[in-house]
Amino acid sequence: MSERTHTPLSPEVQATLPNVNVDDLLASIKYYVDEDYAHLWIKDQAVCLKCADKPCLAFCPVAVYKVDRQGHTMVGYQACVECGSCRVGCPYHNIAWTLPRGGNGVAYKFG
Amino acid sequence: MPEKLTFDAIVVGAGPAGISAAIVMARSGLKVMLIERGRFAGSKNFFGGVLYTHALADVLPDYWERKPPFERPVTEQGYWFLSPDSVMRVMHKSQHYQKDPAESYTALRSGFDAWFAQQAVSHGALLITKTTVVDGIRDAKGRVIGVRTDRPDGDVYAPIVIVSEGVNNLLTQKLGLMKADLPPRLIALSVKEYIGLPAKEVETRFNLSGAKEGMAIDIFGDATLGLPGTAFLYTDKQGISIGVGLLLEEFVHHKLKPYEVLARFKNHPVIKPYLAGGETLEYGAHLIPEFGYDRMPDLAADGVLVAGDAAGMVDALHREGTNLAMTAGRLAGETAVEAHKRNDFSAGFLKGYRQQLESSFVLKDLKQYRRMTDFLDSTPHFMSTYVNYLNDAALRYFSAHGLPKRDMEDNIIKMLFQRRSFFGVARDMLKLLQGMRG
Repeated sequence: MSERTHTPLSPEVQATLPNVNVDDLLASIKYYVDEDYAHLWIKDQAVCLKCADKPCLAFCPVAVYKVDRQGHTMVGYQACVECGSCRVGCPYHNIAWTLPRGGNGVAYKFG
Repeated sequence: MPEKLTFDAIVVGAGPAGISAAIVMARSGLKVMLIERGRFAGSKNFFGGVLYTHALADVLPDYWERKPPFERPVTEQGYWFLSPDSVMRVMHKSQHYQKDPAESYTALRSGFDAWFAQQAVSHGALLITKTTVVDGIRDAKGRVIGVRTDRPDGDVYAPIVIVSEGVNNLLTQKLGLMKADLPPRLIALSVKEYIGLPAKEVETRFNLSGAKEGMAIDIFGDATLGLPGTAFLYTDKQGISIGVGLLLEEFVHHKLKPYEVLARFKNHPVIKPYLAGGETLEYGAHLIPEFGYDRMPDLAADGVLVAGDAAGMVDALHREGTNLAMTAGRLAGETAVEAHKRNDFSAGFLKGYRQQLESSFVLKDLKQYRRMTDFLDSTPHFMSTYVNYLNDAALRYFSAHGLPKRDMEDNIIKMLFQRRSFFGVARDMLKLLQGMRG
């Protein structure tokens, strides 16, 4: 993070963001899911429990991350497009990020 | 014990940089293995985007005869400055862009990269897909002598490895060429939708005379909620590529959902009519390395060279990246060929690659714009303040209210300083100038 302080977005601007059903977008992406190997995982759930902001729930462009009732972070690696945002963006570097095994993961039709 | 698999050179990643390197080396007679983790070259690659033919021609002089799968030539391009309800357009259309081949084309990477990789194969490179490189192999002296893949008995050896693995440069980091991973303020996250529309519709909506015309628009302001970033709208053959990118830090800090930012942009009253009736054929996301000249990894070490996004070779201001990658890949390939002639793969000799990049546009441009990301990061209000001002000033300028024009002009000046103090404006302009001049 940079040193600068971010001015929060005004509620009026926030209100202009539409709700999007991300599943509709995911349906347009082709995947070859590796059922035997999750290439992403949470290193330490205790770190997530202490993370108040949980920005990963928002910034992941394919909504891989969700929180269950116990507050644990769940990783839906099957939807991952391997962009790397969580690798860089998790404030605690608590996400283990590896490449899917050869041939697996996202396969863009258009790109 | 299987025999040790040995090549003259290994290229990690079949993108613009890696394929360029592979073509150059294979053409010189080297035995090249080009390793790609996707199902085919291009399947993991995703961009805006626009390709530039100058860099392609340097790699493949006869590329035009090889029928590259471009979308449309860019015959009109420029900027839209978007406020919440208006747009100021600065576009350039010229007969000079109407050339065969043109200087730049819109493209979709899945098809283009697959074609480009095929050219490497036709030059004699061995393309191995569905294979992930998990680590480098080094000898006792720390020199890179090969790579470890996720295939059984998957070690491959070569006296030189060209790392063109893309923005998530895990191998570059594992090889110790980059000291620390990147902070989210130096990387942009871009999301894009490819929206299908009949060619006729694309041409009517963007005022194009046919398949030999196309438009590339970079958009500032409300598209990114006024935050540091840009959006884009490019015409494809039968569709539109529309996307938005912000510094990742903005998404993290404001807890913004990228797909909501994109949906909001698509809904903008100026943008919406262009997309009406179109079908989203693909959505995707990609990081753009914007860490620039001062934070690049070591580009050469014993037995290894780094090129493309893995080394941060992106000029975000001019939306250039693939041409930097192709040029760097070509120079890396040429360096490897020279190293083979001398049988010298030491860092000392390979550093010549960096010198060649320094004297090419690749590092000259990166050096000039070394402060651009800092500019964006340190003036987060810039987009909203000035883009909204431009539109409000234009509205005042073009409206007749029965007011003397001198009063109108005073009004327009006053409108600026109501938003930002005189010294604030001076400081912003100085910062912008520093960002542009390096």
